[in-house]
Amino acid sequence: MLNIDKIRKSQTNIITIGSYPAIIASMLDFDYLSKKEKPSIKAIIAAGRKFERYFFGRREILIPVFPSFDQVPESKRLSATFFLNLSSGRRVLTSSIEAINKLPALVGGAVFAENTPEKHAVELKEYAKQKGVFIIGPSSVGIIVPSKIKLGAVGGVDYKQIISAKLLDQGSIAVLSASGGMTNELINILANTGKTLSFSLSFGGDRFPMVTPSEAILAAERDPQTSAIVYFGELGGKDEYHIAQLLNEGKITKPIICYIAGTVAEMFPTSPQFGHAKAMAKTTEETAKAKRDALKQAGAKVAESFKEFVKMIEKIPRPTPEVKAAPTSGVNKLSKKDIIESMHDRNHALISTSISGYKEGKVLVLGEELLDFAKNHSFAYIVASIFLGKKIKSRELEEFVDFILRLLVDHGPYVSGAVNTIVSSRAGRDLVSSLASGILTIGPRFGGAINQAAKNWLVGITSAKSPSAFVEEFASKKIYISGIGHRKYRSDMPDPRVAEIISYSEGLEARFTSFAREVEKITVGKKGNLILNVDGAIACVLLDILNEKEGYSVEELKKLVEVEFFNALFVLSRSVGFIGHYLDQKRLDEGVFRLEEEHVAQAEIED
Amino acid sequence: MARVKLSEFRAKQILGEFLGEGYSGFPFDTEKDDEQKIGKSIKQGKSYVVKVDQGVKKRFRQGLIKLDLKTSKDISSAISELKKQGFRYFLIEEFLPHDETEERYFALERTSSGIVAYFSKKGGVDVESFEGQVQELLLQDAEDAKKIAIELGVKTEGFIEKLIEAFDIYYFSFLEINPLVISFKTPHLLDVAGEVDSAAEFFVEKWNSDDFQDGKKDLTQEEQNVSKLSEKSQASFKLVVLNPQGSIFMLLSGGGASIVLADEVYNLGKGHELANYGEYSGNPNEEETLIYTKNILNLLLKSNSQNKVLIIGGGVANFTDIRITFRGVVRALGDVRDELKIQNVRIFVRRGGPHQDEGLALMRKFLEENGIEGEVYGPELVLTDIVSKALEK
Repeated sequence: MLNIDKIRKSQTNIITIGSYPAIIASMLDFDYLSKKEKPSIKAIIAAGRKFERYFFGRREILIPVFPSFDQVPESKRLSATFFLNLSSGRRVLTSSIEAINKLPALVGGAVFAENTPEKHAVELKEYAKQKGVFIIGPSSVGIIVPSKIKLGAVGGVDYKQIISAKLLDQGSIAVLSASGGMTNELINILANTGKTLSFSLSFGGDRFPMVTPSEAILAAERDPQTSAIVYFGELGGKDEYHIAQLLNEGKITKPIICYIAGTVAEMFPTSPQFGHAKAMAKTTEETAKAKRDALKQAGAKVAESFKEFVKMIEKIPRPTPEVKAAPTSGVNKLSKKDIIESMHDRNHALISTSISGYKEGKVLVLGEELLDFAKNHSFAYIVASIFLGKKIKSRELEEFVDFILRLLVDHGPYVSGAVNTIVSSRAGRDLVSSLASGILTIGPRFGGAINQAAKNWLVGITSAKSPSAFVEEFASKKIYISGIGHRKYRSDMPDPRVAEIISYSEGLEARFTSFAREVEKITVGKKGNLILNVDGAIACVLLDILNEKEGYSVEELKKLVEVEFFNALFVLSRSVGFIGHYLDQKRLDEGVFRLEEEHVAQAEIED
Repeated sequence: MARVKLSEFRAKQILGEFLGEGYSGFPFDTEKDDEQKIGKSIKQGKSYVVKVDQGVKKRFRQGLIKLDLKTSKDISSAISELKKQGFRYFLIEEFLPHDETEERYFALERTSSGIVAYFSKKGGVDVESFEGQVQELLLQDAEDAKKIAIELGVKTEGFIEKLIEAFDIYYFSFLEINPLVISFKTPHLLDVAGEVDSAAEFFVEKWNSDDFQDGKKDLTQEEQNVSKLSEKSQASFKLVVLNPQGSIFMLLSGGGASIVLADEVYNLGKGHELANYGEYSGNPNEEETLIYTKNILNLLLKSNSQNKVLIIGGGVANFTDIRITFRGVVRALGDVRDELKIQNVRIFVRRGGPHQDEGLALMRKFLEENGIEGEVYGPELVLTDIVSKALEK
């Protein structure tokens, strides 16, 4: 049931299903102008990007985007109180039901789409009723409660509209209409006469609105802040007879001012279909005239022309004292004029960053002033924090990263990256060119194995496969398992570095490391050199530490694999080695490197 | 779109299949089919009925149903006779003589509380004169269908239940079977009028928009263009030509405001001068608004009226961008600026919403630069006052 007072007392944590940037932007402008400290929209359910960029005042913010409710972090999901469904008509039923099921703190929602099947609207209404939430729509511009919530396009999408329509001041008049455009027209008429809204909503022009006109009027009747109701109806449907009945039964005591449009239909032999799906009078009962008469008889103030309607609205007495917006602990203390000045020339930035930047003339890195950041933290802490985009929490990660950075520094001049660096250096190239030529060899066959190994261990754990099934899958496809196998070391001659790396998982539950070791047991049974190698060991221990000590979920770890986080430590550390080789070659000054004929085989391909 | 009429042919085919009885009637489109089709489809020794299948009510009274036709020649001459009255779509089915006392009335309608059944022991062409005898029942459980079957004397097990199920799963909004004839082995759906919810097209395989008898095929070129534009767009466009020779042309936006503005013309006693009703909404882009405006201007320039006025009106939009939509309107006006001047067309504008200042300025500039008479207002003017200003002359 729609309860306006409950909306006023609830937190406004909104999740939108689908994205409509102009509408979302206007809701954030409304939040900002209402002096909220934080934007009300917490997440967007949509495919594609991970974030959408919006303004909160002049500041740019990133609203996280998730492909489905299942990917929304628990804390956001559990605290969401409203949804705004911006998806297409055919997806309205399934996506709204999902929202109701997945959001336990839900108070209500609004559906924007046109072309929702009637049957779906009826079913969804029934479901919402069972679950004790309200849903406005379909094809509704939504609901607005001044300075509290703007759920939809209602009231306009331009911040100037929000200010000029007085949507920031809590008032005492409820505006209700099927038509979204007329809702806004009436909000503006009110504002021009110096009056303000208690709340306003559009039921939507469909045949079966989920919040019906009568229910909305009863919500206005129950709302302690509403003192009068303005209602705009159209020909078609029988809602006005229910309203008349409520008036006759004394269930509506507040003054109600109405206008029912559609007398023009009298001109036609059969009523045409007007703009809204519902706007068609099939019987005399459904004509504008008949409905006006019924409301009049029941005691409503019914205007015969729109002009008269406007005059009636002008005459609504202003209650004393007018309820003023409660001052919230404001982030913006600007006057309205300053706000308009500050918002009119907003331009989107060309790039956005979450790591570092200037603030009030100081360079901040992860929120800390650079010099303090440098003085207070170890290099490993700084590397891990900057790579992850937030300050790390655990001593374990810091120590492990420190060890890896030292361990991966160099592995001799034989590997492709070092060779490239050496060849470039001897060809007379400069530091950066030589380093770059070395780094450019890092990829699937050299140095890129940590990331691939991490991906393997994640697949192994999430698919809940047995280690032997896991190995079989690779074997049957005849592909190597990244993280397994070494050219030189064997099970009877283990790599001492691996033992050292694995020691960092001591004291942890170490799901990933255990899985990797189980895999190793099977592979060494096949061939002695198929041991867990340095890449595989680093990957599993890093996964375990991130998971257990830094709180990364499996989904978040997958995202780290996608962005190649696990290779980043190698690139950084090995750059030290490459630079070393470059400088070494310059010191030795051997001259340009060239292969002799005997170094090159003439390949003869047998047919 | 909303509720649309389904052709009787398709409605009967869907129900016949679902009831497990099949359906042997066939459609005939005078623009596409020829006499051969009739010859191939009918059987020797049987008698046939030709019905106009264009969603017309009270066909029998109007003589739009021809009974007891024995040969394909009889059938085609019945069709050509009805074609002369302007009809194009027909349904041909077997003629089943029966007694009037065997005719029942049965209808279903989807309402906000659920599916409501209407039924009466007395059906047929005179059903309206039996007012008060038609019972109304909100269907809640399986017993309801049994109750209806008993009342109507339907003995076939599960017949009413199946009709109700088909109604629900095929997204019917309204279904009227009148009469339902009960004298045969199974009850027979003699005449069927069905409406479906066009919004459900995606969910139903049994029908699609080709099966609609919404009268769209009789529309003017401009109305057809607008209907196509609307189908392809996320925004919504509507156009109804009321009086091609009218003097008051409307380019309106918003489902609610457009009715208010059309009402005002009617209230001022100028309804007969109103050339069209229509509206655009849902934030169309510049190109779409351009196309919509062109179609209205086409109608406007064709009218014989000597005193033409174009009212570009709408409320204060929530999310339709006035700058972008008015750019499209002004481009369309610009394309016919000379004709507009020659015909002395006056243009009156009242609109508000996102970027209204830029949009209204664009309109003012156009009128001034081209010396076209008219006035441009924002939300400071009462919505309907633009109509009285436009009609002053």
